[in-house]
This record gives sequence, C-alpha cells and structure tokens, in this order.
Amino acid sequence: MKDIDKWNEAVDPDNLSDDENMILDAMGLNGSSRRKFLKQVSAASLSIYASSFFTSELFANTMKDLPEKTTALLNEIKVNIKVNDMVKPLTLDSRTSLLDALRERLGLTGTKKGCDHGQCGACTVIIDGKRNLSCLTLAATCEGKEITTVEGLAKNGEMHPMQQAFLKHDGFQCGYCTPGQICSSVALLEEAKNGEVSYVTEDLKKVQSGLSLSEEEIRERMSGNICRCGAYNNIVQAFKEVHTGNDEMPTWEFATQEQMDKAKNA
Amino acid sequence: MTKSINTSGVGSAINRVEGHLKVMGKAKYASEFPIENKVYGQGINSTIAKGEIVSIDTSEAEKLEGVLKVITYKNAEKLKTLEGVRPEIATDTIAPVLQSNKVHYFGQYVGLVVAETFEQAQYAASLVKFEYKKDPSAVIDFEKSRSKAYTPDNDSNYSRGNMDQGLAEADMVVEQTYNTPIEHHHPMELHAVIASWDNGKVTAYASQQIIEDAKIAISGTFQIPKKDVRVISPFVGGGFGSKLNLDRHVIMAVMASKMVDRPVQVTVTRTQMFTNTNMRQQNEQKMRVGAKKDGILTALSHETLSHTSTTQEFQEPCGMVSKMLYNVANNEVTYKLIPMNMQTPFAMRAPGEATGSFALESAMDEMAWKLKMDPIEFRIKNDTQTDLHEERPFSSRLLVECLRIGAEKFGWKDRKPEPRTNKKGNWLIGYGVSAASRNSPYQKTHSKVILELDEDKVFATIQMDATDIGTGSYTIIAQTASEYLKIPVEQVNVELGDSDFPITPGSGGSWGAASFCNGARAACENAIKTLKNNRNIAQDEEVAVSELLKKNQLTKFEAEGMAEPSAEFEKYSVFSFGANFSEVWVDKDTGMYRIKRMVNVASAGKILNPKTAYGQIIGGLTMGVGMVLAEQTRVEPNFGNFITRSFADYHVPVNLDLANIDVIFLPEEDKIANKMGIKGIGELGITSVAASVSNAIFNATGKRMRDLPITPEKLIEAGLEEGVTA
Repeated sequence: MKDIDKWNEAVDPDNLSDDENMILDAMGLNGSSRRKFLKQVSAASLSIYASSFFTSELFANTMKDLPEKTTALLNEIKVNIKVNDMVKPLTLDSRTSLLDALRERLGLTGTKKGCDHGQCGACTVIIDGKRNLSCLTLAATCEGKEITTVEGLAKNGEMHPMQQAFLKHDGFQCGYCTPGQICSSVALLEEAKNGEVSYVTEDLKKVQSGLSLSEEEIRERMSGNICRCGAYNNIVQAFKEVHTGNDEMPTWEFATQEQMDKAKNA
Repeated sequence: MTKSINTSGVGSAINRVEGHLKVMGKAKYASEFPIENKVYGQGINSTIAKGEIVSIDTSEAEKLEGVLKVITYKNAEKLKTLEGVRPEIATDTIAPVLQSNKVHYFGQYVGLVVAETFEQAQYAASLVKFEYKKDPSAVIDFEKSRSKAYTPDNDSNYSRGNMDQGLAEADMVVEQTYNTPIEHHHPMELHAVIASWDNGKVTAYASQQIIEDAKIAISGTFQIPKKDVRVISPFVGGGFGSKLNLDRHVIMAVMASKMVDRPVQVTVTRTQMFTNTNMRQQNEQKMRVGAKKDGILTALSHETLSHTSTTQEFQEPCGMVSKMLYNVANNEVTYKLIPMNMQTPFAMRAPGEATGSFALESAMDEMAWKLKMDPIEFRIKNDTQTDLHEERPFSSRLLVECLRIGAEKFGWKDRKPEPRTNKKGNWLIGYGVSAASRNSPYQKTHSKVILELDEDKVFATIQMDATDIGTGSYTIIAQTASEYLKIPVEQVNVELGDSDFPITPGSGGSWGAASFCNGARAACENAIKTLKNNRNIAQDEEVAVSELLKKNQLTKFEAEGMAEPSAEFEKYSVFSFGANFSEVWVDKDTGMYRIKRMVNVASAGKILNPKTAYGQIIGGLTMGVGMVLAEQTRVEPNFGNFITRSFADYHVPVNLDLANIDVIFLPEEDKIANKMGIKGIGELGITSVAASVSNAIFNATGKRMRDLPITPEKLIEAGLEEGVTA
C-alpha cells in the first residue's frame, strides 16, 4: 500500500494508462502542458487528482495483504476474486463481505458503503451479468464469479455510454450513490433486453424480450438505488437516453422578459 | 481583448468538472484514502436514555485476535468539556466524548474498539459489556413533557404591532397546529474519518462541510494549536447539515490514533447515523392568522414548541418565514424548548424554513379557502417589498413573478377550487401551491489563484478550503475563474477541501455559491490587477492574461483574494424566493397517493450553472417530498431509543416516488447581494414543498392534513368520504 508521498513518486507521466490519458485529454491537457500539469500536482491536490486519476494498473494501488502476525483471522479463508477481468488471491476473514473486500483489501473504493444492510443500493456491482448488492454478498461465495465494478465499466479508455449519459444529464450530485446507480442501470439494460418483469409491469402475459421501458418502469426498477441528493429525474433521463438512443432534453428553462413583464403587470 | 473565446464562464450549463471522477468511481471520499498501516475503530452506543455506567467488562473483547484497544471513559484522554448549562451548539463547537460515566441519551457513544480489521472491530464491539444504573427521570416523551419547556435565552422571540388588535380587526381567523416529526439527514456517504496523530499533529480525512470549523473543533477539543490540525475533505458524499459541525466519531478516531500510534478509520454505521450525527427535531407549530374579507392580513403569529438535548441547546428558527414573508402589521413569533434525553438536534436542510413554511403555507391555504379566494391571489395581495421584521427593503424580491409564471406553466387555471371535483376513476385529483423564501447569506471568503503560462495558454489553479457536497462548487468556481481570467474552463483546475488552503465559510446555509465564487473572483481580479500595475498597464485596458504574464516575464504567478459583504449588503434583507406547484392523485379508498408532477419557480439571483442549479432545486424538492410522504424518526416511549434504525423503517424518497419536475429560473442578478449577483439556491428547493403537496391533497380530498408525514393511514383516519373537513 502506498501512502500519499509514495504515491507522488509513483506518478510517472511517461507511463499512463488509457484511462488516465483519456482523462487528461478530457481536461484539454496535451504535450508539455500535460507533463507540466503532472509535475505540478501538489501533495494536497493529490487527494483529488492523483489518487483518483492515476491507476496505471487496476490493482497496482491495492493494499497489500495484512502483515502475517495480524492475519490470524477467525475462520481464515482463501479466495480468488475476479474483478474487472483481473484475478487477485486474497486471504480473508470468512465474515468479510464482497463490499469490504473490494474497498478495504483491493483498494477498489468505487463501490460504496451506504448502509451495509442491503437497503440503499450504493454497493451495487454486477456479478455474472446481474446486479447484486455487494454488502449482502460474502466474499467467500465469489470464487469463480465474474464481478464488474464501476471501475471496470470503461473500455479502451472510453467511458461506458451509461457513464457518459450520467455525466451529461447530471445524474448525480455528491456522487456517492452514483457507482451503484450506474451499475444498476447497466444491468437494467440487459434485464430489459431479456424481458424481465417488474412490480409495475402491466400485463405479465405479454412480456417479451427487448422491452422498451416506460418512465414508470424505469423509476420502479431503479428504486433500489437511493439518491439522497435527489437526482432521480436526471438519472431517469440518463437511463432513457441510453435505453432508447434518443436525446433527452433538460426540464429547466429561464423565464423570458415577456413572461416577467406580464407577471409583474398582471 | 474581446470575448471571442468560449470561456464556458458563469451561466453556462457545462457538465460538472469533477463529474468524470464520480461516474468512474474515482472520486475519493473520507474513508477511501489509502493510508498505510490503518486500523479500524467501531463505536459502541449506550442502551439507556439516562443514568450511569456502573461497570464495564472489556476482557472478552480484548482477548480477540486483532483487537488493539478498547477505549471507554475509564482510559480515555481528558478533553476540553462543554461549559455552562446547555451551551448553544454551533458549527465549530467542541465535541468531547467518553469523558465520564454519565449517559445523557440512548445511543450516546460509550466506547470505541480498535482492531486490525473492520470485521474484528465490529465483532469485538459487541462483546464489550456495560452495566448501567438507570435514572428513571429520563425525559423521552415529548407529549408528557410539555411542562418542562423553557424559553431559549437568545432573543429569538419577536413581535411587532399588536396581535390581539390584529385578530380583533380580522373577519376570518385560522387557528391551527401543525406537527413535523424528528427527521434525519441521511447523506448517502456514512460519516467517516481516517485520523492520524503524529507527534502532536493531527491529520483527519474527514467528511465535513466546513473545513475551518472542523479544524477549530478538533484543536479546541484536544487543546492543541490550530496550526497542528489538518482536515482534508475533497469529496463529501452529501451533508444536508449533518456534516456542518464536527461529530464525536472524529474525536474518538484522533484519540484512538494517539493511543495505538496508528491511523484509525471510523465509519459511522447507518444505525449510528440516527443517534450520533445530528437530526431535525420534532416541532409543534401553532399558527394564528387573521384576515379581512378582501384578503388583507391583519395578524399572524407562529408559536413553536420543540426540544433540545439536556446538554446542548439548538433551536430551529421555524418562525423566521412568518416574520418576513407577508405584509402583516401585527406579528408574533415565539419559541419554547423541552430539554430531552435525546441527541442534540442541529441544522437540517433549510432549518426553520423547511418546517416553518409547512405551517405558514398550510395556514395561508386554509385562510384562502375560508375567504374563498384563489390562494395565489391571496398571497400576492399580501406581498411586500420590505422586510417588516428587519425594517429594511429586500435587495430583490420577485415572489409575485414566481407565483404568476409558475401558475401559467403549471396550468393553474384548470384547478377546480372546490375539493373533490376533479376525479378520474378511483383517483381524486388536486392542485396545490405554496410560496418559498430562504435567507441568502454571504460570508467572508479567501481564495488563491495560481497562474501558469505554457506557450500561449494560461492554466489556472484555484485553491480554497471550500467543499463540494454535491452542490457543484468545483464547477461553479471553475466557471468563475474562467469568466474573470477569460480563459477556457478546461484550463482551470479547482482544488478544494483542504485546511492548508485559504479559509472559506464552507458549505451550509445556502452561502456556498455566493461566497466561494466571489472569493475566487477576488483572487482572479487581484491577479490581473497586480500584473497590470507591475507593467503600468491601465486597469481598463483589455489584455489577455497570457499576455500579462509574458509582459511581466513570468511563467508562474500567484495571487490571493478576499470577498466579503459590502456595507450596502447590510442595509438590505437578502433572500431567495420561489413558488411550488404540485399535482397529487389520491386513491379515494386506500389513501395511497402519487405526486404526478411538480413545477418550481426559483428567483435565486444569478444562476451560475443551470444544470447544477437544477440539481439543487430538484434535490430540495425530493427531500421536501420525503417530508410529506414518509420521513419520520419514531421514539420508543419507554426506553427512549429510536424505533426507526435503518432505511427499512426510515423511508426516504426513491425514484418511483418522484414525478416529473419542471424548473423555471427567473433571469435575475442581485448586485446588492454581492458583486456577482448570486443568491443561495441549495435550500430554497425544499422550502414549502410539503405545504404545496398537502394543499394539493386538500384540494383533492377536502381533508386538511396538519401532521407530517401524510401517510395513507392518516388520510383514511381523516375520512376519505364526501365532504370538506376544513
């Protein structure tokens, strides 16, 4: 495990991953300015930038296993966890949830702990193609399973369309429920394709594959993911845009001068 | 220089500048920093409401593999403690913990277990045995404790004119009581900290809204110099007031780190979020409204009975709205508090306005119904451009415009004034309206800008200890720098949430946007001013900042700036205003209801970024919907614990609970408020939402609901049969 200073040393501008290059491209930093920016990153800004941007290898930033003398764990188990197409062998306390294994042992903190009781959806990950609550999943049960977390959705330096849509439609505020919302949304696209029913499905006999989800269906099927900031409208818009391929328009506007005058003089 | 380049400056609906980090799972929240050698702390909570700890058995916990320390009052470090009887709680108040065997409420921290792993700490915490001597005098029942209420000694009671005379002049009087329950903020990110104590120096990665005040509270509690405390909080996973002050888990983590000589992470559990990270208290608000037949208000009084803890005082200013929203000569606002054996309440989103507006705007609707007046016209009739409480004009007030423009957008003309006349099958359909106001403070803010020239491009870094709690601070600060430096926003880097940066008032009370942006503006303006002065360039000459650096033969330049309210500001009352409209469908048999659509009109000064401003408004509306639909923390009347202890029983709104929301911003710049014309928007959205829904329910069903939340069972109890029960 690296602390902030070691992190600083580890930042090598010549050896960036596709993801990092993409992010710096998005920031409009090229050539010497990119190099300069990387050098400039102060210790303080590392907290914002480096630790989050610079993940040259997915597991390069993971915490090492706990020292032997303290790993006399209760019911110690060994499990190979496959996350985002990479496998990491772990020695864990048998009580460890997948959520805590991801966050505390693999350094994959994108998956969030919002309640630890399966009630908020912040910890949603995709296991074998289905959305699952990682806080209610024991890490010990994950051997041989394909786990995708929010960190694994971008491919070839390109954000998943759902991530792009959330960004465009501001489908978040504080960002804490966001990884869960996005993993849920990505898996929901598949559920619609497979024709899976929900609580608000009108006619269970007429279910077919390739469902086009109504707004109510989207809201119901996304109701397992709480957003306390209240970005639900924007989350629905982001999902709809990816689901239908049609642009969603914002529902804010500015009053015109004409409206203002009329209101004042009514 | 002309403004030919696209600066993506103030007013553009750009995506959040830190958004890619959030959607990719790369934004780092407090408990996510990879700190070497970190261990885990788990807090233990009391299981009595009042009394003393008589014995503690830590032996079983200490035997467990991995357990490093069990901390209780017996071995805890002595800290600075609160002085006086129930001192008022503030955002920088000290947070002493584990200082004695006294228990003041159910859920108070009585211990902390530190262990190598989270699992070990959690299990060990369950093995520490406490024996208590219960004090039967615990005050835990609000209803039965009215006689214990006292008047808080902070000049909060207010009156103007003569209430009795006002009521005597009235043709109609509404006298009703409105109840709101205990509510909890519940940001999605659990309060968390990783604290380390290193040779008397504290570093705390802590989820806090106000960095400077967190620093003051830590230094005050441990009686160490402020300069030896560093608080880092670049991303805050929601706050809503719960992270305004420093809660005691942070102090426990620092103390533990000192004792085990390793960094300690403490994450508050969701259940502890009910007992250890603030709450909005229960309010009983008695309203008396008098009006003439023609709708002119003659009297308005607002009496609030609430509670605080037995150790600290907090009073939510529910009556604030009644003092300033309408033109009424005779006005009275009073407060009473019952000290109870419960956690100290503290500010939750729009403290005062959120709950006070439910009472006021419900009572206004009741009066409009009695007068057979349109509720919008009734409000407009009593509009005022003067704050009668502060006896000074509003810097700007477009409430009438909010109401009229909203009415048009919503289709208010289609509303049937008589309840139960708009029906569709089993549904009773109602329209509701309410007016909103929220104080818009603005506070002293420092900021630093670092300019760097790279070929022809200038890259700017803005630093301040401001926070972004989902409000969009990173984005609007970047836009401000882009605007005032006239460089593209992509060339602006914003660094926040670190106590090493210049001091700001942090996030809270709707002052963030105005304070942070004006602070950033001041730094950028100072930079340009100095660069011009150094080369004797006239201040009004337009020269690109890249040229200025070149002319100064500089590749790097730093400047600081400070912004604060002007003398002019003090002569006015500065508030944001708004209007809420709701359409509600109530099932006439089950009492189940759906909010079908909402319209909000916001007059909140200069809109810095409509995308993030819209987020603030719909976020407020969502929490307002939570108030009316379901949010309620219940107290067990025998033991004083909360019955609601998780999201399974404390219901916050989910996606399906919300409807389509249209938001209209009024084109306003309030230059009295501040140089950039910004007013607050973070709390305006929640204000009066509950009333607009409740008023719509009356219009749908003819039943007046005065207790939040309005659950289907309450509607059934009120009787959903024909007739109007006013």
